[in-house]
Amino acid sequence: MRTTNYAPAMCARAWLGAVLATGLGLTPAARAAEDDKARIAELEQKLDESLKMIRELSHKVDALEAREAQRTGAAAAPAAAAAAAAVPAGAAPVTPAVATAPGSAAIAGPAAPADTAARVTQLEETVSQMAANAPQHPEDRGLAMHGFADVGAGTHNAQFPQYQGADIAELDFFLTPQLGAHTRALFELNFEVGANGDVGVDLERAQIGYQFSDALTVWLGRFHTPYGYYNTAFHHGQWIAISLRRPRFIEFEDHGGTMPAHTVGLWLTGSQRLGDQKLTYDAWIGNSQRITGGTLDMNNAGVPRGSVMFGGNVGLLMSGALDGLKVGVDAFQTRIENQDVAPPYFTQVQSYGTYAVYDTDRWEDIAELHFFRNTDLTGHTGQHDSHAGFVQLGYRAGRFTPYARYEKGSFDQSDPYFAAQTDGNSYDREALGLRFDIDLSSALKMELAQTRFTDRYVTSYGEALLQYAIRF
Amino acid sequence: MSRNAGKLLLAALLLAGGAPVRAADLYIICNSQVSLDEADVRELFLGEKQFAGALKLVPVDNSAAQRLFLGRVLNMSAERYSVTWVKKSFRDGINPPGVVGSDAEALASVRRTPGACSYITTPPTTGVAVVGRL
Repeated sequence: MRTTNYAPAMCARAWLGAVLATGLGLTPAARAAEDDKARIAELEQKLDESLKMIRELSHKVDALEAREAQRTGAAAAPAAAAAAAAVPAGAAPVTPAVATAPGSAAIAGPAAPADTAARVTQLEETVSQMAANAPQHPEDRGLAMHGFADVGAGTHNAQFPQYQGADIAELDFFLTPQLGAHTRALFELNFEVGANGDVGVDLERAQIGYQFSDALTVWLGRFHTPYGYYNTAFHHGQWIAISLRRPRFIEFEDHGGTMPAHTVGLWLTGSQRLGDQKLTYDAWIGNSQRITGGTLDMNNAGVPRGSVMFGGNVGLLMSGALDGLKVGVDAFQTRIENQDVAPPYFTQVQSYGTYAVYDTDRWEDIAELHFFRNTDLTGHTGQHDSHAGFVQLGYRAGRFTPYARYEKGSFDQSDPYFAAQTDGNSYDREALGLRFDIDLSSALKMELAQTRFTDRYVTSYGEALLQYAIRF
Repeated sequence: MSRNAGKLLLAALLLAGGAPVRAADLYIICNSQVSLDEADVRELFLGEKQFAGALKLVPVDNSAAQRLFLGRVLNMSAERYSVTWVKKSFRDGINPPGVVGSDAEALASVRRTPGACSYITTPPTTGVAVVGRL
């Protein structure tokens, strides 16, 4: 049997391969050593980057602490400054070994992050405390006071058509001090120009209340009588309304309004969710008004003969497809004393109303209708029926809001209640207007209107009105 | 080879995780004593709801996340929101919500104040109740 002797050739090849592999660094051992070196280099690079980040964070912590110490004047400031000064700039703030020998950082590393973490935690607590102190308790915020003002010009004064030209209308302040979780207060102080051109001051609203829950708030004082929608939605600051002025028959008493816009008394109000809808309700009782100087007066100091006004309002705020729509009904009864005649005249006024409002991002549409069934208690002329209403459409198109309004008051002139009032005559009015929001706090309004009086004196007049209204 | 594959896999995972740009989540948070639903949150920030049972609610606006909140919860612009509160204040004597400037401040305020609710875009950790996530 013949055998082949391969050993020498194989040996040679193996040696050749080993030499080659060694030369190329590809022996298994060399390969492993190379891998380890690369890994170590990579780790060292990562450690350097981490150390650099730690140093940067540490500097930031020092700066924040110094600022905090400055702000509070704490004794920690000198200690922090001293600690910062003890750490060489550019070095990790914990151990010299880390700063001087990156290769040995694996030993000293854990100390740096722990100390920095502790300082960061302390800083977080400080920031949290600062943040927690920033929004103060409502009772500590001081008195919240805001206001409205408007001036105008036109072919007639918007409230007193016997005048023309420019006018200063009003400067209205309202204050809403926060007195606790349940106590509420609202005061509205209005400086306004009257029919004689003088500037008068009126405490238009002065109400202090207690809110038991969302379902019930009780107010005592002088408030806007909660009939209809407009009278409680819009007050004396004209900026808040789209239109330049109120419908004539629900103007404020001293501007010739024929309904009691203000009541001094007790007002209960609240709301309840009814499924997806919301029920709103109001009930009030207060001093009856009187007629003096041809206008209604709300008897701020009380009534001499104990007459009261009482009433209620129930509304339903829709949601879903009808989101923004509110409908409601209201009624009130009062006994009005006409003090412009002697002996005084008494009329029982009963009013029944209904309203609808559609208020969304685009539309603000309001409609109200009021019926009056008044009884002459003195002259024995019996009952008298009258009615008044308005429809207003407003469309928000960016900064521009065009609006249109039609209003009508049909007042029985044999009714002593309307007959006694200077502006108790029947009328109708059409108006087209445009509101331009200059910014969030100021608006220009322009209105063209045609007013017709249909009894007492039959006449009509047109108006071109301008108003500049602000809030602050 | 396996190490390179591992690195490639890690890179792929990172890319995959970051590839679709997600809109930020909005977390409605309240003090742990408060229990509200989403409809209540809307009413709270419109001034229509002030109590949860006997607890007085305290809405806190977070200016850092307000645009997101107004769009997703109230569905109104910032201007309309401002005007809504002006009217609310003028009509009912209710002051508008306090304002903080960051998620951290909102969290601190809600943790500290009984009845407080706010909104943030960073996931809350502990100490507050998450009423909703949008």
